[in-house]
Amino acid sequence: MKKRGKLRLIKKQFSLQMFVWIGIAYILLFSFVPMFGILMAFKDYDIVMGVKGIFTSEWVGLKYFKEFVSDYNFANLVKNTAGISVLKLIFTFPVPIIFAIMLSEMRSLKFKKLVQTCSYLPHFISWVIISGISFQFLSSSGIINTLLLKVGLIEKPIGFLTDASKYWGFAVASDVWKEMGWWTIVFLAAIVGVNQDLYEAAQIDGAGRLQRIWHITLPCIKPTVVVVLIMALGNLFGGGLSGSNFEQSYLMGNSMNQSASEIIATYVFKVGLAQGRYAYATAVGLIQSVISLILIFSSNFFSKKIAGTGLF
Amino acid sequence: MKQMWKVWKRRTTEDWIVDGVIYLTCLIILIVTVYPFYYVLIVSFNEGIDASMGGIYWWPRKFTLENYAQFFGDLKWLRGLGVTVLRTVVGTVIGVLFTTLVAYGLSFQDLCGRKIYMTIIIISMYFSGGIIPYYMLLRELHLVDTFFVYVIPGALNSFFLMVGLSFFSDIPSSLRESAKIDGASELTVFAKIILPISKPFLATLALYIGVGHWNNWYDSAFFVKTKELRTLSYLMMEVINKSLVSSSSAAAAAQAGSATTTLSIQTAAMVIAVAPILCVYPFLQKYFVTGIMIGSVKE
Repeated sequence: MKKRGKLRLIKKQFSLQMFVWIGIAYILLFSFVPMFGILMAFKDYDIVMGVKGIFTSEWVGLKYFKEFVSDYNFANLVKNTAGISVLKLIFTFPVPIIFAIMLSEMRSLKFKKLVQTCSYLPHFISWVIISGISFQFLSSSGIINTLLLKVGLIEKPIGFLTDASKYWGFAVASDVWKEMGWWTIVFLAAIVGVNQDLYEAAQIDGAGRLQRIWHITLPCIKPTVVVVLIMALGNLFGGGLSGSNFEQSYLMGNSMNQSASEIIATYVFKVGLAQGRYAYATAVGLIQSVISLILIFSSNFFSKKIAGTGLF
Repeated sequence: MKQMWKVWKRRTTEDWIVDGVIYLTCLIILIVTVYPFYYVLIVSFNEGIDASMGGIYWWPRKFTLENYAQFFGDLKWLRGLGVTVLRTVVGTVIGVLFTTLVAYGLSFQDLCGRKIYMTIIIISMYFSGGIIPYYMLLRELHLVDTFFVYVIPGALNSFFLMVGLSFFSDIPSSLRESAKIDGASELTVFAKIILPISKPFLATLALYIGVGHWNNWYDSAFFVKTKELRTLSYLMMEVINKSLVSSSSAAAAAQAGSATTTLSIQTAAMVIAVAPILCVYPFLQKYFVTGIMIGSVKE
């Protein structure tokens, strides 16, 4: 009886169902079908076998995972991926909060609007252009080195883009520069929603500006902060909020700063698409996907427990 | 006037210091954000060889339109621009239609199997098979090295689907039902009633998808080999990579018989790539917060 009801419902909703089916079929094709490819990570697969080979090749268990762990690049890749990601979290997450508080404390609405509107422009510009701008500013003949040389602060150009020791700092700074204004929008919206009476009451009680920020603004935007933090943690190894790790390393990494700029995601590309070691690259990529999945579920779990809000 | 004075007098030393720090910091942020773009703009209007000597900060020293003339005279750049415009237009039209149609269907709470559909979409947002299996799929579908690889695989984005879903869910169901009683089909309701009232949302969605297509270099770099199919972003990336690896003097080398350099033509290309984004920028600002926070859609 119940089944017949369901069938009738589907019949009634037939055209709606059609819309959705096409979409779901599309997602199944482009997102779920590639998941079968993960099998390669555990098999003795070679490109020449074609797609069928994914299923017919021999199982080799964790061979590629062991190979990756014992690879001479391994320690460096893990260090770079984790280092850049954690640094980005430390800087790109609090900066928009501070910036949003600053903007909300501004009295001049025109200047506030101008600063805010300009600050999120870089978000819409691609990393390709950002890397072009970086070259104009930071290369050995770029504007910053020229200026510093002229003033006499340095004697020879600083290799911001070519010196491995500078890459982490450059990656974090350019990410803050590009995405700061964008994430400020979220926090600013939360601050606007804070009840204004609270501020007035606090002022009457003699609370100063900083005290009001600390005791009213921050506690009131806590739920938003938590949600954004989970999003950042969930994508920690992708590069946090902006997910910029891959694009940055690929575009700004070069043979000179490689020891600091090569991360797992770019390594997967290099050994996979360029060298054709499909099975090995899939295994390496899988490690990162699984860690990311664990991160997003655990941060979601803890935030639900602690703050009562979560992504799903 | 008197009241103003009262307000000023009430301000404490703390107020003055806090305001000072805030305004100074924001001024610095403003300059640091805007100046790089301004600098690229003035360099693009300066003679290339002259620019490579440095020292240009506020205004072109030797004004010229040569860089732009070279850009538009070079078939490689023109083709790149053409491919980028085409993929942006085609990709946006397909993407918007597809996304809204599916999101509209999903916005019906009583849709049979809705829970399963939502689970599938959410999984696709957080987990993937990785780049190698994805590449193999594209190759198997004969999409690699064709124009279609730009517009087909990304036509339905789970993230935008969620944005659309939350938008359509806010449309009162009475509006959707009333037309159906008159015997109109679901597609007619969608085209005649839903789409017209969703114009602001459609425009925003189109802009987001459009900017994504316009900026994309990734698929051109990894899934396309034919030179004629390269996008503008990819071509710029090529120039930057070359100038980074080779010494900067080689990058600044003059093009045969003119005062432009590869680098100065590239600045012109950068301006051309940023200009359309600046034009749509004012319209992009609507729905910002919904767009960002959609990751936290509750189901």
